[in-house]
Amino acid sequence: MEEKSFIEVHHLSKSFQVRKKREKGHWRGEKKTIRALKDVSFSIDQGELVGYIGPNGAGKSTTVKILSGILTPDAGDVRIDGQTPWKDRKEHVKRIGVVFGQRMQLWWDVPILDSYSLLRDIYRLNDADYTKRLHELTEALGLGSLLRTPLRQLSLGQRMRAELCGSLLHRPRILFLDEPTIGLDAVSKLALRDFLKWENETHHTTILLTTHDMEDMAALCSRVMVLGRGQKLYDGSLSALLREHDRTRSVEIRYDTPDCMPSLPPSVRMHREGDTLHLTYATCDFSTSDLLSMLQKAGAIREMTVQPQSIDYLIADMYREMGL
Amino acid sequence: MKAYRSIFRLRLRMETQYRGAVLGGIVCQIFFGLILVALYRALYAGKPQAMPLSHITTYVWLQQAFFRMLLASDADLMDKIRTGGIAYDLCRPLHPYGFYYARIMAQKLMGSLLRAVPMLLFAFWLPTGWGLSLPASPAALLLSLAAWFLGLGCVCAMENITMAFTMRTLDPRGIQAMLNLLMMILSGNVLPLTLYPDRWQKVITFLPYAQMLDAPIRLYTGVSMPSQACQVLLLQAAWTALLIFLGCVLWQRNQRRLIIQGG
Repeated sequence: MEEKSFIEVHHLSKSFQVRKKREKGHWRGEKKTIRALKDVSFSIDQGELVGYIGPNGAGKSTTVKILSGILTPDAGDVRIDGQTPWKDRKEHVKRIGVVFGQRMQLWWDVPILDSYSLLRDIYRLNDADYTKRLHELTEALGLGSLLRTPLRQLSLGQRMRAELCGSLLHRPRILFLDEPTIGLDAVSKLALRDFLKWENETHHTTILLTTHDMEDMAALCSRVMVLGRGQKLYDGSLSALLREHDRTRSVEIRYDTPDCMPSLPPSVRMHREGDTLHLTYATCDFSTSDLLSMLQKAGAIREMTVQPQSIDYLIADMYREMGL
Repeated sequence: MKAYRSIFRLRLRMETQYRGAVLGGIVCQIFFGLILVALYRALYAGKPQAMPLSHITTYVWLQQAFFRMLLASDADLMDKIRTGGIAYDLCRPLHPYGFYYARIMAQKLMGSLLRAVPMLLFAFWLPTGWGLSLPASPAALLLSLAAWFLGLGCVCAMENITMAFTMRTLDPRGIQAMLNLLMMILSGNVLPLTLYPDRWQKVITFLPYAQMLDAPIRLYTGVSMPSQACQVLLLQAAWTALLIFLGCVLWQRNQRRLIIQGG
């Protein structure tokens, strides 16, 4: 028996019955089974900040909902801090916080402070502790001046911060975040990242972060799990994953004479925009010095930049390779 | 318990925010009340019924005043189920049935009281034969109040069952249209139950819909005598208990076979 981790997931499976569109002449549509999770296993230690990525429909949200005790899996076992979420639901949910990026837990028409008071009563927090925690969170999230504002008057960024505060009032030991940065502007996004880091470091809150935003992932998570078609495809460090798939470079180049056209192997993709040439090549094809000498043959280079592929392209490539 | 009370209070406060809706509701229900009363007056002019006219007008006004208690559901809750926002409510250390019951009750209580108080004052002010009569006796008033609370409990239990079904069909419109029709006819909103043929009444007054508003109105007008009150209140309590039990079972089963919509 291996050493017990904080979160242990063994052979988790879940499928849904979905009614297919009904064909002409048939009264009822046929039922289709969608296997959202197939035999997924992983473990997470206390205080870890783990990213959970995968294309839409991969089963990420389903996992989060099982771990937070909302859904019951068909098969498999989950132990979180010694408890099974869907069996010991009430005890379990006291210790977790959840943020669903596309949904709201706070009440739309009342000041957010009232929603927080409700959460205080729901989680049976004592007044002193609640006040202290609320103060700490509003400070860290910059919510102080907004507490008496109804939720409906807040911007999306403010709202997300308010939601996050609501999910953390009861000092959960684990925080599940399901696409928390969706639709946020750069400033809000950065603020949210800083906050999550702070919460993770100061309170050792274990965080499982689901996102499509690779920048978030890179900034926050040292460990990442990739899910595709309900299966776990990768579990390890983000940098190793990127290194493995980081096989192309893009080059922007400007010659002294604008219509210079270097002769390059056909594997190099090339297009011209004004007097700038854009090239993309695979690093396994030739070395940088080979490329440089080929480029220099065409004429004098005025300006040149070499960049790795953006992280989004990398992930898209990776999904493609994994057949997703 | 504190948590459920808290939800109740917050939902009460939320309900007081929609003042425009309250005003609109009052105007609309007064309009309907006047039309119905005029209709029954015409009916009585042609062929008087066994039930005195003042009973019927009182019945109509009480039905209209508490319209919102029977026939309005919490749009927020329905939306939550439809869009999957319910996920948050399901990961709280509470029983979701109780959570929703408290919410529904607050909405129905405050929503109907805000409309009922001005409407009943208006109906009192109307001349006899048009408006609301005084209760049959002080005892009748107290008993009908008790019956009204039990009726509220019964409506909320019924509504929570609708919620449970909505979680399966994911769209409340079909089942709501059907149930609202039943509600309007069998609760006495369309036609006072006291005007149905006696043999029909025996069956209809036994059904849960008659426990919500018809039972308290009968006690108020003295159609049910205070000596029969015990029987009336017991039947109401029995239905409320049964509906709450059924709702709990449905919620429990739903939780096991739940699908959350959208991502």
